[in-house]
Amino acid sequence: MATVTGDDGDGDGDDGNALERSARRAMERPWTVYRAAFTFGVVAFVLITLFPFYWLLVLALTPLTNVNNIDFEAFGLPLPVPVPQGFNPAAFVEVFRLVPFHRFMFNSIFIGLVTTAIVLVIASLAGYAFGRLEFRGRRVLMVLFLAISYFPPVTFAIPIFRYFTGGVHLFTIPGVTAVYSPNWFNTPGALITPFSALFMPLAIFILTTFYSQIPDGLEDAARIEGTTRIGALFRVIVPLSAPGVATAGVLTFISIYNEFFFSFLLTDGQAQSWAPIVWGILNYQGQYQQYYNLMAAASLIGVIPVAVLVVLAQEKIVSGLTSGGLKE
Amino acid sequence: MGDVTLDGITKRYDDVVAVDDVNIHIEDGEFVTLVGPSGCGKSTTLEIVAGLTNPSGGTVTIADRDVTRLPPKDRDISMVFQNIALFPHMNVRKNISFGLRLRDFDSEETERRVQRAAEILQLEGMLDRMPDELSGGQQQRVGIGRAIVREPEVFLMDEPLANLDAKLRVHMRTELQRLHDELETTILYVTHDQAEAMTMSDRIAVLNHGELQQFAPPLVCYNEPANEFVAGFIGSPSMNFLEGEMGGERVETPHFSVGVDPAAVDVGADGPVTVGIRPEDIYLRQTAATVEQPTDAVEATVDVLEPMGDEIFVYLLLGDAADDGGPTVEGADEASARSDQLLMSVEPDVRLESGERVEVVLDRDRVHLFDTGGDARAHGVAEGSEAPTEVNADGGEGR
Repeated sequence: MATVTGDDGDGDGDDGNALERSARRAMERPWTVYRAAFTFGVVAFVLITLFPFYWLLVLALTPLTNVNNIDFEAFGLPLPVPVPQGFNPAAFVEVFRLVPFHRFMFNSIFIGLVTTAIVLVIASLAGYAFGRLEFRGRRVLMVLFLAISYFPPVTFAIPIFRYFTGGVHLFTIPGVTAVYSPNWFNTPGALITPFSALFMPLAIFILTTFYSQIPDGLEDAARIEGTTRIGALFRVIVPLSAPGVATAGVLTFISIYNEFFFSFLLTDGQAQSWAPIVWGILNYQGQYQQYYNLMAAASLIGVIPVAVLVVLAQEKIVSGLTSGGLKE
Repeated sequence: MGDVTLDGITKRYDDVVAVDDVNIHIEDGEFVTLVGPSGCGKSTTLEIVAGLTNPSGGTVTIADRDVTRLPPKDRDISMVFQNIALFPHMNVRKNISFGLRLRDFDSEETERRVQRAAEILQLEGMLDRMPDELSGGQQQRVGIGRAIVREPEVFLMDEPLANLDAKLRVHMRTELQRLHDELETTILYVTHDQAEAMTMSDRIAVLNHGELQQFAPPLVCYNEPANEFVAGFIGSPSMNFLEGEMGGERVETPHFSVGVDPAAVDVGADGPVTVGIRPEDIYLRQTAATVEQPTDAVEATVDVLEPMGDEIFVYLLLGDAADDGGPTVEGADEASARSDQLLMSVEPDVRLESGERVEVVLDRDRVHLFDTGGDARAHGVAEGSEAPTEVNADGGEGR
């Protein structure tokens, strides 16, 4: 390794060994080191991020009988890298046969979309108020919203469960009837309502920032031309804040799509009870048999909608950002 | 009928009165300009007419309808903004037709009106462009187009030319006048530029500190300013003011006196007055033959010359001021300092040197007197000059 390869031209006459030479080169041309470090970082990041998906793929393709014998040394690398034992793509079809996984996916997507729509509409109104109106207590209220959003959701678990399993006495209309909370256990309402509240503060915060940057003149112009304040919000301010709305929407949807805690609490885990994807995956755990390969396949399938959404939304966000500044 | 009436309009913020009891009646088809220095309340007044700001008191009537509590969209107005405010996410056609589409005009009618506006404003061929692909003047023409397609009763214009460069501004000025002649719609225009106010308006409303100072045709404001503020604000360069003392049939200023005809001025009230004279009403004695009613010659020293090409502005120092090194503005009482100077405009072919001693005369027909409160007491102090007509806040002389 330490073969002398001649003077490297720096004229100091000290050849040293290969290590010294490369160290000297690095000091003379540090950008090569930076570039190498950057490349290494990116590659490592990508590998680490994608490795779980690879492992899921290996698990999914391996027939159930071989799942416990996955070979980690097939490539002869110093790191354990799994390789499928056998090839069983039928697992990706089997997932829909054993459990109505499509229904679980529909549940998750439906609840996510409805909640996102509710959150965007209400958060837009709130963002308009916080971002564009002056009123007493605005800052206090905003801080309050943000503070609540940092509460651990588990603190709400028992009250929400009691409330949505019905029978909580709310108030009595004298002489008419007493009003109790509804029994929404196993219905979308029991999920959409708390989700909307939980993910609202973040969306309000994002939209407030964006809406406050739209020049007043544009809103005035819209109102003169014939919109109400709300009309100006949805016809001018929201379209001009497209990147912000997309960001808030995507974040909200993904958070709800990933949500499991309240879904576990408020459904019994059956597909027809609006249980979400994770419930579906858990359903491959039978009393006598654990279908690890199907769980892996279902997980991969479950990732697809989010992956598609992110790719599409990213394009939207970037195009929104580059479509010319908002010149007042 | 697109007449507009502001009745006792007042706008108070926490501790500031932005607009103070303004009363204006604008006739249908009239071009009225609100003019005044920044912070005088003119933009607030316009926003109140537009409905973007609610007044603290008073009523706004547009076309015989009390609109004080109506939102902007129900007032039958349109507005052109200083910052243009085109919707950046819509092309020119959509910007212009925005109000029409909101009002459910059918697409043929919308298209016809957009085409007509484009024709009037020379925007043909630009209808499919986005606002950021247009020049400043084109953008403002689109802004005007958006205002005219709805054919409202009243156009409100908030310094629409302020963000354009000087040459374009003058051009757009004539365009706006042409547009007004063509459409015959009431226009309420806000500007701080008194040249715009003078050249375009049928009447101008001069505001200061939220109060209406004078509401009259431009030349009336120029020739018969209601008070010292209007006299100083209208006209460029502005009027000279000198502190004086009324006594008998003369007004004495620190450096000269002006004979006053009792027929033209109420000389009964002796006491301090302010003498106002515009630069173009001061003449060198040798060229003063055309002045019918000159004052006695006033001795002065030429201080600074500003040749403008078509005329020369001459800053004069009165009396002995030049001898002891010019007026000591600092430390000296400001009133007496301004009484030591006089700005005069002369023909461009007049040869003058800085430091030269000259004799000038004032045209007594054009001397204004203001009492200590600033209100005009006389416009012209010579025989045959008219006493000030009552051109005051409540309407002037009409058209």
